[in-house]
Amino acid sequence: MRASDLKISISGIRGIVGQSLTPQLILKFSEAFTSFIGEGEIGVAQDTRPSGNMLKYAVFSGLLSCGATPVDMGILPIPSLQFYVKAKKLKGGICITASHNPVEWNALKLIKKGGFFLNPYEAEELLDFYYQGRFKRVHKSGIIKKENYPFKIHENKIFKFINREAIRKRKPKVIVDPCGGAASPYVKNFLEKLGAEVICINSRLSNGFPRNPEPLPQNIQKLCESVKKYGADIGFAQDADADRLAVVDEKANPIGEEYTLALAVNHYLSSRKKTPVVVNLSTSRVIQDISRKAGVELIRTKVGEINVSRKMLEAGAKIGGEGNGGIIATDIHACRDSFTGMALILEYMAVSKKNISYLKQELPLYRMIKEKVKANFSDRKRIFNLIKSKFKQGQINTEDGLRIEYPEYWIHVRPSNTEPVMRIIIEGKNKEQIDSLYSEIKEHL
Amino acid sequence: MADRLRVSVSGIRGKVPSALNVENASKFAAAFSSYLEKGTIVLCRDGRESSRMLAMSSISSVSASGMDCIDLGRLPTPFLQFFLNKNSYSGGLSVSAGHNPCPWNAILLLDCEGHYLEASQGPEVFNVYESGTFEKAPWNKLGKIKESTFPFHFYLKALSKVVHFREIKNAHFKIIADPCNGAVSPFLKPYSEFFGLNIISINDDIDKPFSHSPEPSIENSSQAEAVVKATDSDLGFLLNSDGSRISLVSEKGIGLSEEMTLPLCLISLKEKIKKVVSTVATSSLVDWAADELDLKVIRTKVGQSSVTHTMLAEGAKAGGEGSGSFAFLPFSPGYDSLLALTLILDLMAREGRKLSEIISPFPSLTRKKIKIEIPPVKIYRVMDHLEEKYAKEHPDYTDGIRINRKKAWFIIRPSLTEFILRIMIEGKDAEAISSIEDEIIERIRT
Repeated sequence: MRASDLKISISGIRGIVGQSLTPQLILKFSEAFTSFIGEGEIGVAQDTRPSGNMLKYAVFSGLLSCGATPVDMGILPIPSLQFYVKAKKLKGGICITASHNPVEWNALKLIKKGGFFLNPYEAEELLDFYYQGRFKRVHKSGIIKKENYPFKIHENKIFKFINREAIRKRKPKVIVDPCGGAASPYVKNFLEKLGAEVICINSRLSNGFPRNPEPLPQNIQKLCESVKKYGADIGFAQDADADRLAVVDEKANPIGEEYTLALAVNHYLSSRKKTPVVVNLSTSRVIQDISRKAGVELIRTKVGEINVSRKMLEAGAKIGGEGNGGIIATDIHACRDSFTGMALILEYMAVSKKNISYLKQELPLYRMIKEKVKANFSDRKRIFNLIKSKFKQGQINTEDGLRIEYPEYWIHVRPSNTEPVMRIIIEGKNKEQIDSLYSEIKEHL
Repeated sequence: MADRLRVSVSGIRGKVPSALNVENASKFAAAFSSYLEKGTIVLCRDGRESSRMLAMSSISSVSASGMDCIDLGRLPTPFLQFFLNKNSYSGGLSVSAGHNPCPWNAILLLDCEGHYLEASQGPEVFNVYESGTFEKAPWNKLGKIKESTFPFHFYLKALSKVVHFREIKNAHFKIIADPCNGAVSPFLKPYSEFFGLNIISINDDIDKPFSHSPEPSIENSSQAEAVVKATDSDLGFLLNSDGSRISLVSEKGIGLSEEMTLPLCLISLKEKIKKVVSTVATSSLVDWAADELDLKVIRTKVGQSSVTHTMLAEGAKAGGEGSGSFAFLPFSPGYDSLLALTLILDLMAREGRKLSEIISPFPSLTRKKIKIEIPPVKIYRVMDHLEEKYAKEHPDYTDGIRINRKKAWFIIRPSLTEFILRIMIEGKDAEAISSIEDEIIERIRT
């Protein structure tokens, strides 16, 4: 079996430029999207990948071909596009970004009205349009609109929601690392307007991304060094499309992306309304502890932003997200948003008058292992059965892959939507126990 | 069946979106880029509502192949040809169907000097298109996309050198323009200022749909005729959507046949030319003018590609067609309506005569142009059948079937651009012409 680098799935279309990802595919996919979503204004944003321009023209032509009006937003973070689509009541949006994938990759992320990603049923329907070539082509194509500073309405919404006075008083020294991604043109100015003193590193993309764009502790060494060098109060790292956020404390230690969400949730529940909290099935138990302490319900959903955001709206949850550093505060919008995340965490520091390392220490400490193993479609069932047979006593949840819960730890095994791998997540308080569980599972695979 | 994509040496053409759409436009541009291999492709489009999307998809393909792309936006095709001719780029793409009405559109291919591709080059591009294997540049070698504006002042300056600039400027002509909301519309104002003209434009909003069929002809002249009369102007003119064709209205408010454009240009250029290339489907007015001016006429197949490449091969500076097209190689390789207009203004200014006076010695000819719609699969069967029937009269097979009879000549040929048979009959005797018309129609039907 030969795996293609091209992935057309319910997550959209993704591939390597110069190999599988051609303008012909992109424009057909854009035609399918317009045919599915209907005529009207569709926002088009891109991250900083050099292939974004070439793909943008293909997207424009596909949208025009089926009667939509593209609104060109230039380089823009995906949460800002989502916010714009919602606030300006656009019909939808397309973000040209392969998020945390390497620079030679690119992809389309599809947004419907309200700023939401497509749910799996809608995505299936869209794929039907694509594969059957059911394009509602017109002979009159409309114009292309241009939006000059689409970030503005997004940041203004955040400024209204955050206690900027408190942050201004504290005037924290912040190092931010947007990885030369879509946040680069905006983030320094945004943080300054929030009241911080800001140094921006890795603000440019040269021959590829300045670091691996996934904001994991091992990828943000330069940020840690800069925090130390400048004696900063905090460091922030974003991914290429700026939906995920990682935090480095004033001692130059990455606090781990699970704790990004934990800090935001803890602060939200103590400073604002007590509402249910929604996270995905792979998110750390630290959120569970925080929710319990605050006396609010914790709801877990399948992995994927759309699953979390839908559940939040349904349950009236105001705060939630995903453990990979994706903070969602529905006061702004029901989308993972690193800007909202940075604002909440700076406000937390300012209001509590505490350092990040202290605020993290207040939270229970867990050991979490996140790994991925290569596994094609046919391996999946075998792996599930194997793990099921090894962990019979646990509480089993099969909503999204396989999740087995014990009082002291939990294991989550699920196939990735974007790569031919299985993700394995194990978490518990006892480090030795978790490490040995992982080596046991790995041996079986 | 009329919805099939028409592929010819000049490019691809069809109704949008059934035959021509962003998908095959994208592949076609990819094929052209792969064929050219490296350098820069310059692109323009007319104001048609479908042109923008076809241009966008072409631009994406050019960049994906690794070639740089300069987008000149909405611009007449002859301006792009001029631009290519004066610079060193690899080739050009023009999204415009010229005289075809909406929903037709086309993508025209131009070589590095602004010429239409040669008859032998076209098929090479189509082979790449059919193979579906296109050049793909990696992420860090993609072509740059640059939006740019056409240096119109430079064009005007070059144009002023072909004519007697002072004489035109001193004549203070009052002119009615009907650019049919086409790509020339935005350029009329600077053009008229430069040449000291008083141009009153009707239908000059490029953002609006075509006000009538974008084909310069007597049939479409009525608006311009009325305005010329009402304003007591010296001249009126009509353009097609990409500014490659022009027909005129005299100061009396009478629409002239588009066949008159070419002989008028020849008279204006007089001693500057020795040969002229035209087609077997062009009026014998050309022969008359050539006799008067002592020019050699070379007749070739219909279409800009065959005319301009014959001009190059024969060393002829002037060429054109009965559709209202004219090219003068020392200026630019393309059929250019503003060039033709300026030459005719030059003639009027120098001789101090009105347009109707200039055309008064033209032989009085009656002409009939007929289009017959025939499904594409049947066209060549019908042509075979007609060849058989006319074999005895020793036809000229340069393009379709041309027969020269005593009282009239006629040509029957498949259109390059649409799925129709084009018939033209010309002679001095109106009765002879209508009997030939009846004869042809009967022979097609049987």
